[in-house]
Amino acid sequence: MIEQLAQLLASAPEPIRTLLGWIFSDAFIKAAVFPGALFSTILGMFAVWYERKLLARVMLRVGPLHVGKVSGVLQLIADAVKFLSKERITPSSAIRPLFWTMPSAALLLSLLLFAFLPFGAGWIIYPSEIGLLLFFAVIAVSPIPILLAAYASGSKYPFIGLTRMALQLFGYEIPLFLALAGVVLMAGSFDIQKIVEAQARAPFILPQMIGFVVFFTAALAETERVPFDIPTAEGEIVFGWQTEYSGAHFVVFQLAMYEKILALCVLGSLLYLGGWYGPPLPFVPDTISAPFWVIVKSLVLFTLMVLVRGAYPRLSIDRVLDLGWRYLIPLALLNLLITGVIVYLSGVLA
Amino acid sequence: MAAPPEQLWFLWDPFILYVILVLLAPDVFYLVSWLIAPRRSSRVKKMAFESGQAPIRSALSSFPVEYFPYVIIYVAYAVIAILIFVSLVAIVETGVTPSLLLLLALATVASFYASSQLKEVAGRRG
Repeated sequence: MIEQLAQLLASAPEPIRTLLGWIFSDAFIKAAVFPGALFSTILGMFAVWYERKLLARVMLRVGPLHVGKVSGVLQLIADAVKFLSKERITPSSAIRPLFWTMPSAALLLSLLLFAFLPFGAGWIIYPSEIGLLLFFAVIAVSPIPILLAAYASGSKYPFIGLTRMALQLFGYEIPLFLALAGVVLMAGSFDIQKIVEAQARAPFILPQMIGFVVFFTAALAETERVPFDIPTAEGEIVFGWQTEYSGAHFVVFQLAMYEKILALCVLGSLLYLGGWYGPPLPFVPDTISAPFWVIVKSLVLFTLMVLVRGAYPRLSIDRVLDLGWRYLIPLALLNLLITGVIVYLSGVLA
Repeated sequence: MAAPPEQLWFLWDPFILYVILVLLAPDVFYLVSWLIAPRRSSRVKKMAFESGQAPIRSALSSFPVEYFPYVIIYVAYAVIAILIFVSLVAIVETGVTPSLLLLLALATVASFYASSQLKEVAGRRG
């Protein structure tokens, strides 16, 4: 069977052979299938469904149920079709070019984060010595499309969302930065693959519990999750900076937000939970069990985020700023100091 | 496996290919929306949303100034954070020294002191 196929392939004309070679090439599989475009999109859609289902359980509801045979798995497709069949309204006060391009820019930056995340030894789109720095650079500019989108809407609620978001994001970028510094200090590398390999014996969450708490809280705030959702607080300012976006624009923005959350979950699992190190699975080769453990650990983090959303009410803006500036930054520095002492002592003892 | 053609080398680079695919991703949504969504514009629809009101004055209102001290603190802390991150590049090479730990301890104590004082500085409850 395979021989016949190979013969057929060898007799095919040159362009078709090149095309097939391209589809089975390392580049295409990494960029388009795993861990690239297809995987990250499916993960994003799964996350939305999973969040709705889990949040419903927390609130003693059942969540999506009717569309699709099992647990409303097709609800998301129904939702997507509904959103896409709605009109895209551009307010007359909006700055048109900015208003129309910013959702795509937000999605581009969110999905770009996945290029720097390894899902196993070699399972990475863009291997780099400074992968963590590149990841952080993209995270640091990712609020800009959102701020521009809010500004371009030319409407009051988006503008209120914009000011809230600027205050919140600037406050939480620095703790995130400092928490990551602790990981780099301990692993002695900016390469995420090397950082994971440094956790072969024990995950970094054990020596860096404080750092993990800071990272997790800052990640919640960076992605505007409840209880840090003041920029899009539905009960107060309609939908914050997203108020004027409808139809396909809204879908793209929502997907961008979820991809950012998931990218931070994957980063957290790689930096603190030991990445692809886990109990070996029977009859499963390493190349498959490694991504499996990364995904499982990321989903554990995502579950934690959803539970936090279910359990806590929205913080007021002064509480959010207080938490970021007065608690997280000193704690992040303390974590860095503890990490420094551990690294120094282990160097002296060795 | 066939060799990549000269002009299309970028399709054999995972990162460039990924960026191209990511740039195309939102356009799929826009294309579907363009095909199935209605396009009936009207003056009322194009008004900025103000809870059913006709929009009053410009949308660009004033910035809440009581949080302005945080912006100033951000400038200071951003410099420190970048300093720490950049010096990490050197520390990764040379290793941790006692003087470095002293500096870190100083920064930690200073930040704890600052955070205990920040309540009064911001002055937003008075």
